[in-house]
Amino acid sequence: MTRSALAGRLVGALVTLALVVVIVFGIAGALADPAVIALGGGAPVDEVARLRHAWGLDRPWQVRLGELAWGLLHLDLGLSRIQQAPVSALIGRALAPTLAYALPGILLALALALAGGLAAARRPGGPIDRLVNLSATLLLSTSSVIVVLAAHGLLARRLGLFPIIGWPLVGSDAAAAGLVVLPALTWALLQLGPDLRHFRALFVRELDAPYLDGLRSRGIAEARVLGHALRGASGPILARLAARLPHLVVGSLVIEQVFNIPGIGGLALTALRTGDLALVEGLALLLALVTIVGQLLLDLAAAALDPRLAAGGER
Amino acid sequence: MKLGRAGGAALALLGAFALVAAAAALGLVGADYHGFVAEPYAPPGPGLWLGADALGRDLGARVLQGTRVSLLVGVVASLLTLALGGLLGGLAGLRGGWVDRLVIALTDAVAAIPPLITLLGFCLVLGPGVSSVILAIALSQWTGICRSVRAEARRLRRADFVRAAEAMGAGWPHLLRVHLLPHLAPLLLTSAVLYFVHAIKVEALLAFFGQSSQELPSWGLLLAECGSELSRGIWWPLVGASAPLALLTLAAQVVADRLADPPGAR
Repeated sequence: MTRSALAGRLVGALVTLALVVVIVFGIAGALADPAVIALGGGAPVDEVARLRHAWGLDRPWQVRLGELAWGLLHLDLGLSRIQQAPVSALIGRALAPTLAYALPGILLALALALAGGLAAARRPGGPIDRLVNLSATLLLSTSSVIVVLAAHGLLARRLGLFPIIGWPLVGSDAAAAGLVVLPALTWALLQLGPDLRHFRALFVRELDAPYLDGLRSRGIAEARVLGHALRGASGPILARLAARLPHLVVGSLVIEQVFNIPGIGGLALTALRTGDLALVEGLALLLALVTIVGQLLLDLAAAALDPRLAAGGER
Repeated sequence: MKLGRAGGAALALLGAFALVAAAAALGLVGADYHGFVAEPYAPPGPGLWLGADALGRDLGARVLQGTRVSLLVGVVASLLTLALGGLLGGLAGLRGGWVDRLVIALTDAVAAIPPLITLLGFCLVLGPGVSSVILAIALSQWTGICRSVRAEARRLRRADFVRAAEAMGAGWPHLLRVHLLPHLAPLLLTSAVLYFVHAIKVEALLAFFGQSSQELPSWGLLLAECGSELSRGIWWPLVGASAPLALLTLAAQVVADRLADPPGAR
């Protein structure tokens, strides 16, 4: 990536981020009144007005948007009035439980999907390919609710192979390591369907490339040829990983609900149930920031891995 | 259009689901879905072919009625998503310039917010219900199809027949309808079926958290109500609600795959 391309990318990311702030603020301000949501639909008008004044919602929108932007510059996401705590602190506390199962899960799914996609793409239409296609279709078309309930109900509750919760209860000194195994496996299973398909299609294209025949004709071992194909496809693989980033930080609502994990998904659900608009806004902004920065970093990594991209060429 | 044997079977299955939904809406099947007719968790038996739920209601009737919610959300949400994304993408691609830059920026911004947060945010702001679910899906999912339609429109904008039409004074609504739409038909059809699958899965997810239909039973809600009873050996609620959900999404997925990659085309 050249210097000017990098600068363009940075400016683009900043613009996107600013637009996210405006969209979230605009939609939340246009469609809902936090005071009404907090008090319930049937609350008396003067009661709502009192709360709006106490929360500073009766000031002009320019002032409130400016306040939000000023806070964001200091990484301050405001205050959750329902939970009486700063939004950033609430999210920070929820990040570890989510990452504990989502990170191993996503890495496992990535490894399995890369291996499966490569094995399938070596002989398109062969038995391995058909098996991979069938399992990808089945996984892809099964609702996450079913997968999680079946895994939890059968493996953890019925057969007792795994603990039934995914994170130590408050005040318990049990280690988290054993608890996150089943949530991580389930999370990997949920990701595997689309990833398998994606990487199979990617490798079918990549393995057709003439440079691999060139390598084979010089007598390079097949395993090393596949290693070259893997590096040749590194750009799209990283792009896929970038597209998966939001899933990584949000995790799965169903897994967190069923396994009782106090993570980001659970936090979002709590916000939904208690009508905590500030928390939903904070989550949207912070997670958008993570997504945009992550994409930027992975773009840079792709350019470093693939000299064709670094030279400003197209793939 | 050739779908092959599996595609044909899947299409027939989709038709059967539509028939069940229509019959349930007319009250021909599963009419008594809210009456307390049996003991809680009565097992399947004569007269009660799928047993009863936690409150002793006829589970079979509730599952049949759930077809209506899933199909309604699937069809309306996918069409709305396509219309929104297609219009914005077509407009951006054909007009270019600042319209294009604005749409691209908007797409990037909406796509940066995790869809689950957008979905929950809309449900919180609009309140639970089928229409909120449909709106939430459309407003959070349009970015994908918008990008594909925009790319196609940009490619077509340089085609001779489009430039000839423009030279004769055709505006972008005309270009969109007469020149872009026929070219996009295969892409739009495949995307419609994929969005249909996605919308049904999202509906089940939101219903699991009580955000979907408040009057009719939805499969996601049935799963939430009795999904945790499996350990006590009560398997019929889980199987009864998940089998049709899995079958419907599988059938639609197979149809979408066959549309995107017809058998014999390779």
